[in-house]
Amino acid sequence: MPHLAVNDIHAKYGKLEVLHGIDFDVDRGEVVSLVGPSGSGKSTVLRALVGLTPVTSGSIEVDGTRIDYSAPRAVRAARDRMAIVFQQYNLFQNMNVLRNVTLAPTKVKGRNRKEVEAEGMELLKLVGMDHKAKAFPDELSGGQQQRVAIARALALRPEILLLDEVTSALDPELVNEVLDAIRRLASEGMTMLIVSHEMSFVREVSSKVVFMDNGQVVEAGDPSAIFDGPKSDRARDFFGKVLRG
Amino acid sequence: MNYSFQFNVVWRNFDALLEGAWLTLQLGVFAFSAGCLIGLVGAACLSFAPRPVRWLVMGFVVFITNTPALIQIYFLYFGLPEFGIRWSNEACVLIGLTLNAGAYLTMILRAGFLSVRSTEMEAGETMGMSLPQRIRYIVVPHIAKSIYPALANFFIVILVMGTSVGAVIGVDELTGQAINLSTVNYRWLEYFTIVALMYVVLTFIASIGLALLGRWAFRVKARIF
Ligand SMILES: Nc1ncnc2c1ncn2[C@@H]1O[C@H](COP(=O)(O)OP(=O)(O)OP(=O)(O)O)[C@@H](O)[C@H]1O
Ligand SMILES: [Mg+2]
Repeated sequence: MPHLAVNDIHAKYGKLEVLHGIDFDVDRGEVVSLVGPSGSGKSTVLRALVGLTPVTSGSIEVDGTRIDYSAPRAVRAARDRMAIVFQQYNLFQNMNVLRNVTLAPTKVKGRNRKEVEAEGMELLKLVGMDHKAKAFPDELSGGQQQRVAIARALALRPEILLLDEVTSALDPELVNEVLDAIRRLASEGMTMLIVSHEMSFVREVSSKVVFMDNGQVVEAGDPSAIFDGPKSDRARDFFGKVLRG
Repeated sequence: MNYSFQFNVVWRNFDALLEGAWLTLQLGVFAFSAGCLIGLVGAACLSFAPRPVRWLVMGFVVFITNTPALIQIYFLYFGLPEFGIRWSNEACVLIGLTLNAGAYLTMILRAGFLSVRSTEMEAGETMGMSLPQRIRYIVVPHIAKSIYPALANFFIVILVMGTSVGAVIGVDELTGQAINLSTVNYRWLEYFTIVALMYVVLTFIASIGLALLGRWAFRVKARIF
């Protein structure tokens, strides 16, 4: 049974349908990447998973149990198991870095503050941000904020981590740091769904690649199959452009 | 000008003026604090509540902000007894000022609610924070920081202009006290000169207090002047 199953989901912004039936599975401990052109609906898939964008039809299952997004309790339970890091690092501007990381574990999960702070410092160390624990988001670079956002998501102890373009704002050396962190998480059994434009990163880290275009899954498979021998014209076209560029 | 100032009359009754100033400060601080709570609830309702609740809140705000505070307090003091509700003059001023501040602060704080980045609220939501928790931990610190100067100015308005309305129904705050004393010996000019200075000192102290509070609690780099 897959850890996360997305079955034929449709989603709308207002009247405009932007997902026209998305299907894919993520097994436990697996890293799956969503790739595709800008505007193809990758972020929307992640938003649907955490209940920010309503799904109009289709289903999402975690561990074989369908999530009922109309029930607040079920949505809370789903958010308890999945954590998202947004494309635009949405840090709380009025709190320092450590507080960003510890807020939800202490206030939502009611965990002991000292313990959470110690764990938060460990997580910040993991992403190389422990030296900025007392800084505020507006005093950090984009890449630094993004790494704090990853630490903040991990502090929720999710089973499934959703990462939206987390490397796009990073320097090459930092990309490697984050890559290491993600590899480590994968080896510890963290299930991950990643959206990325960085194809070398995707190829290296993921066991499955889902290529989306215009709100649909065009092709899915293991990275070498998709990158080296895309079957569809759209995928060939896209990878031709991004891999050359 | 042939008027000869005789300030010693004032100094003899300075204790009474100090008591008045103390009452003014208490009225101002209480009405502002309670008004902030009302304003926070009002602004939250305007931002998140269903339509009928929003209309109700809007009605309250429109009614209060479009009628003079003096009339509202008159209504509480002279009008309510007709319905068998009798409050002391101090209670009427306090309640009237609080409602008044609550209505204005609803609008001031709503501007703060509107300026919170929706992405931060979404992040909080996906992290499992309830709406009250998001208001408490995301909106309030944001408001405190972004519209702190507007809030501080409004506090001064209540402190100086709001509380002095009490004088007309016999509340012995600073203005009331000055009227009482000068009616006895007709030293209006002396009393009101000193009282004006006392208001200046009072707002000066309040401004410094607010600036320090802002720096300490909300990282607001507020200038004192
Ligand atoms: N808040 C919104 N309101 C209306 N339409 C939206 C909204 N957000 C996204 N869309 C539209 O939905 C479609 C999918 O957007 P989405 O953000 O999921 O794309 P994406 O694949 O993540 O793109 P990118 O790679 O640029 O991040 C796009 O056509 C976009 O214009
Ligand atoms: Mg996106």
